[in-house]
Amino acid sequence: MDFVMSVLESTIRYAAPIILCTLGGIFTYKANIINIGLEGIMLFGGFATALILYFLGFYWLSILGTVLAGVLLGLLFCYFGITRKGNFIITGFAINLLAMAFGYYTLALMGRTDIPVVRHRATMIRLDFPLIRDIPYLGRLLSNHPLFTYVAYLSILIVFIILYRTRFGVHLRVTGESPEAAKAVGLKVDRIKYIGVVIGSIFVALAGFNVTLEHLGTYTPVITGGVGFIAIAAIYCGRGSPGASSLYAILFGLMRALSVRLSLMIGAVAGLFQALPYVTVIIILAVVAIVRSQRTNVRSYSHE
Amino acid sequence: MDKESRIKKVLNVLLPVILALLFGAVFIAIAGENPLTTYATLVQRSLFDFRGLMQTLHFAAPLILTGLAIGISFKAGLFNMGIEACLLMSGLFVAVLGFRLGHLPSPVLIPILLGAGILVGVLTIIIPALLKAFFNVSELVVTLLMNYAVILLVTYLATYVFRDPSRGYISTHVISSNAIFSRMFGTRLTLFFFIALAVFALAFILYKYMRLGYEMNALGKNLPFSEAVGINVRWKIVTIMSISGALGGLAGAGWMMSHAYAYTPWFSTNPGLGWEGLLIALLGSESPLGILIAAIFYGALKYGGYTIARYTSVPSEIIGIIQAFLILFLSIQFIRRHRLLDKFKGWFKTDKSHKEEGA
Repeated sequence: MDFVMSVLESTIRYAAPIILCTLGGIFTYKANIINIGLEGIMLFGGFATALILYFLGFYWLSILGTVLAGVLLGLLFCYFGITRKGNFIITGFAINLLAMAFGYYTLALMGRTDIPVVRHRATMIRLDFPLIRDIPYLGRLLSNHPLFTYVAYLSILIVFIILYRTRFGVHLRVTGESPEAAKAVGLKVDRIKYIGVVIGSIFVALAGFNVTLEHLGTYTPVITGGVGFIAIAAIYCGRGSPGASSLYAILFGLMRALSVRLSLMIGAVAGLFQALPYVTVIIILAVVAIVRSQRTNVRSYSHE
Repeated sequence: MDKESRIKKVLNVLLPVILALLFGAVFIAIAGENPLTTYATLVQRSLFDFRGLMQTLHFAAPLILTGLAIGISFKAGLFNMGIEACLLMSGLFVAVLGFRLGHLPSPVLIPILLGAGILVGVLTIIIPALLKAFFNVSELVVTLLMNYAVILLVTYLATYVFRDPSRGYISTHVISSNAIFSRMFGTRLTLFFFIALAVFALAFILYKYMRLGYEMNALGKNLPFSEAVGINVRWKIVTIMSISGALGGLAGAGWMMSHAYAYTPWFSTNPGLGWEGLLIALLGSESPLGILIAAIFYGALKYGGYTIARYTSVPSEIIGIIQAFLILFLSIQFIRRHRLLDKFKGWFKTDKSHKEEGA
């Protein structure tokens, strides 16, 4: 029971940044753009968090800085991918490398191997719910998490509302599904895509905040560990629906929690268990694709 | 190709290089050095100095191979990002075999190791290739995720299974001297560079004169057409991905036998020879000759990075910054290459057609 509880508790923790990345990526997905730069935007968000906390030390300023970092990279992606009509796969990839290169270069200049922000964890906001806390088992799972872990789960609803219950959401989806139609009714297609990507990037950057300050308490250029790519797999499996994609994100979070908990128990083979999330994501991705391809009847190679 | 479009093509590559170096200059200035003199040192040391030039070519050797590996798959419209994984797997297994089979004489051992590297490369990429060919699972996402799994696997094997306990850090045993490419002219240059050149020549022939080269191009440009005229798309995907993986494996084997000599976690440095291959494929606009030039250029940049770190206070990580900007600026050179964009539009359309069916 204790093992199950600890796995579930870690799942809530590990799934949060994946959910934030997934939701952020959905905005670009709905605009019919795939952004493989999620990983980089998240990393850059964490970088901004760590730099501000390390040098200035203000909690709220670091949140603001993380949001700005997301906006900045979002705009960069849009300029190259949308305005200049570049290949957004390459643009996204460049953003990943850029975020990593900034990190390594700054660390080299500082002469450090990481940027520790652990001492700021004392001042960060943790939400403790007096009544829920006292429920057996459930209380332990649902209470006393840092702010952005709750924000992540709450965002599933927020993103659903933005996409399906607001005018902007309708415009974004129309733009993605049929740009010609969107243009015909007078929508400013590029502007809508810009807004979508930038909003998405803010969610993704906040995933970086969540990991850097709220989970690890330190920044290195490898903290993201593929979360951005896992999120892309989650979006693909959930077909861009906020609810379904987030469920996959939680499933992938569970895999991560399992791998960490199991590796703590087993010892030397532990290193191998860390590969579990990536392997299961590939398997799930393959199964989803196989099931889908079986539902469609195409002659020979299904090239869409 | 007419003259105008050739000039356009050269400009399309030169401009990003200049822009990336300009942005790099800003970061050199942040480190408190004069960008002009720093770049001068870099060029001087890695191109206008015999030993330096040989170093440049030595660094270029694996990059030619990884560049071709990615160039070939991109040409066929396949986003194979798994070359880093092929390279790491091959590096580890060649290191282990190079130690265990060390008693064999060089003329026997070296071909065995190169062959083993190629085989490991192919086996690494075969799963994403089959998934893509038979179930249309995005090779992009699968290979990206596979890299993480492979890094963990390889690090685990190097740490617990094949570790040389006499070394104070994670490392396999050093390969036997019979497995090492000897240095030429008293410089870092080895036979590996010439092997890479030979592969370049083969790739050149493949692109220009062989049927597979034509089919590759057709696949990338217009997949439905290729299928309609009778190209077996599935097996072509598997073949092309396998060639790509084989080149990645060969790069790993050669780098192990000409530079690293033992598998350590920094075997492929940062961000990795496989990733640098992506840059080189883009820079060389996917043509073999372009890739060769780009690999030598990047080899100079890479070796230059180490020299400027030694002679100035700029960290060698500056190369990562220049590289990232370079890829960013190269991404907008794809304007005239609709096929890559089309492919991704297609990717999303599949999804929608499924959606309509479900509804």
